[in-house]
Amino acid sequence: MTHMNRKITVGVALAAVGLLLLSGCSTGGQSAQSGSEGSELAGLSGEIGSKDFAEQYILAYITTDILNAHGADLTANTKLVGSANTRAALTDKKFVGYWEYTGTAWITYLKNTAPITDPQKQFDAVKSADEANGIAWLDPAPLNNTYTFAVRSSEAKKLGVKTLSDVAKLPASDQTYCIESEFSTRDDGWPGVEAAYGITVPKDNVKLLDTGVIYTATQKGDPCNFGEVFATDGRIKALDLTVMKDDKNFFAVYQGALTLQAPILKKYPAIATIMAKVSPKLTTEEMQKLNAKVDVDGDEPATVAKQWLQEQGLIK
Amino acid sequence: MTSPAAVLLARKSARRKNVVKQFVPLIIVVVSLGALFLWLSMLHLDSIEQRTLNPSYIIARVREHIGLTLLASALVALIAIPAGIIAYASKSKAFRGIALALGNIGQATPAVGLIILIAIWWQTGFFTALIAIVAYSILPVLRNTLVGLEQVSEDVRNSARGMGMTRGQVLRQIELPLASPVILAGLRTSLVFAVGVATIATFINAGGLGDMIVNGLKLQRFPVIVAGAVLVASIALLIDWLAGLVQEAVRPRGL
Repeated sequence: MTHMNRKITVGVALAAVGLLLLSGCSTGGQSAQSGSEGSELAGLSGEIGSKDFAEQYILAYITTDILNAHGADLTANTKLVGSANTRAALTDKKFVGYWEYTGTAWITYLKNTAPITDPQKQFDAVKSADEANGIAWLDPAPLNNTYTFAVRSSEAKKLGVKTLSDVAKLPASDQTYCIESEFSTRDDGWPGVEAAYGITVPKDNVKLLDTGVIYTATQKGDPCNFGEVFATDGRIKALDLTVMKDDKNFFAVYQGALTLQAPILKKYPAIATIMAKVSPKLTTEEMQKLNAKVDVDGDEPATVAKQWLQEQGLIK
Repeated sequence: MTSPAAVLLARKSARRKNVVKQFVPLIIVVVSLGALFLWLSMLHLDSIEQRTLNPSYIIARVREHIGLTLLASALVALIAIPAGIIAYASKSKAFRGIALALGNIGQATPAVGLIILIAIWWQTGFFTALIAIVAYSILPVLRNTLVGLEQVSEDVRNSARGMGMTRGQVLRQIELPLASPVILAGLRTSLVFAVGVATIATFINAGGLGDMIVNGLKLQRFPVIVAGAVLVASIALLIDWLAGLVQEAVRPRGL
């Protein structure tokens, strides 16, 4: 009996090895695909994720297109809502990667309360802290999607304000602010701004609004003159808003960088070299232009991404 | 055979059970708030959490939330009950249909979208939030007023008319009292709707506990989300419980 059993076991094992070899062969055959720019990433498949706003969609499509041009087989998934869900999809290994901002990761996921002002040091800190989470950070793009305060351009001229220090000197009746509820409690948000610039206005001068409403409220100047906006947002130019200079360098840096599952980057190190050709071109101004195409002109993020890559000569 | 004494005893214990049952929501609220407080006091809160999880912030948000809810519900009662009565008394199928359709639209329209649209078109703040909450929670009162009046038995109505009462007298003295439990039940539902939907006031500078929930969600601060959610649920349970007591108290004798 035992002899028979052993024979069967050996047989099953051999069959299993044979199957493995066969399946190995077949995947080897499939992965012989190559993109227009090369085939370094052959075999890399899955999804590149995004959060739920234009810049994130564009970045997801740029990443998908350029990596696919080098032999990967990726699709962009822009269906998730909220930073937390997107991050969770990466840590749960559902996404190959997505674009994250240094300041967001540092404060929201890594649960720190005070940002690091030096961009490089902030990036290094996030990168090394996230190693423990199995997440790899590629070198960041220069774009800094930080907080900033904007006011309609006509009012900026009338009040004669260029910097946040100028704003802090205005009479309280002109110093009305619209901020997000999230911003109202962050150390790198309103409490910090008040302290750094010595702003002392009645509580009623600070209105809590949803992000989208802030832009139109700031354009109307009702209920506030100064709206908390994002530096790379295309609507700043489209609505003719003027950004107040953060002359005391208070705001944290929110540099964008591609975050990836660490094991995938290890297996496909070429991702880093390919993205190193793309990221440096993504400056704050460039991103504003791309975002405006989606938010203001109503173009499709996928089209905007492809056109940009072609203009830059990164894909054919 | 059960002795009269046994029957009395059984009635007494049933009443006692009823009294205990009446206080179940209150007990749930007290226990959950107690558990929340205990849990929060055991946590080490960072500076972001401390800015929301402190007594003065929480009291201010709860006050705003209850204020919005009660005022919106009062407006709902003021609009929907007369509208329901008019729709009923006019006997017009068209008017009834339009009133109900408007109520349905109010409830079916996503309140978050509505509040932001009004904020962009008109203004931000308290009154915009009030409009959105009223639009969302008007249907139960409107429908229950209509249904409550229509379900009054034709025989009762005819006897009242037969005793020489006018249409107005029948409405005021017979139909409305008989419909009141149903109308109040609708108002109770509206109140609970309003508590929930008032959380969106935060998007347009109208405060409330939505401030806490959105803040906690955006910043991934779990204790803040839980505290906000438990507080909203507790307010809903409490208001429903109080409304239940009022409903019991004003129920016409013999119903």
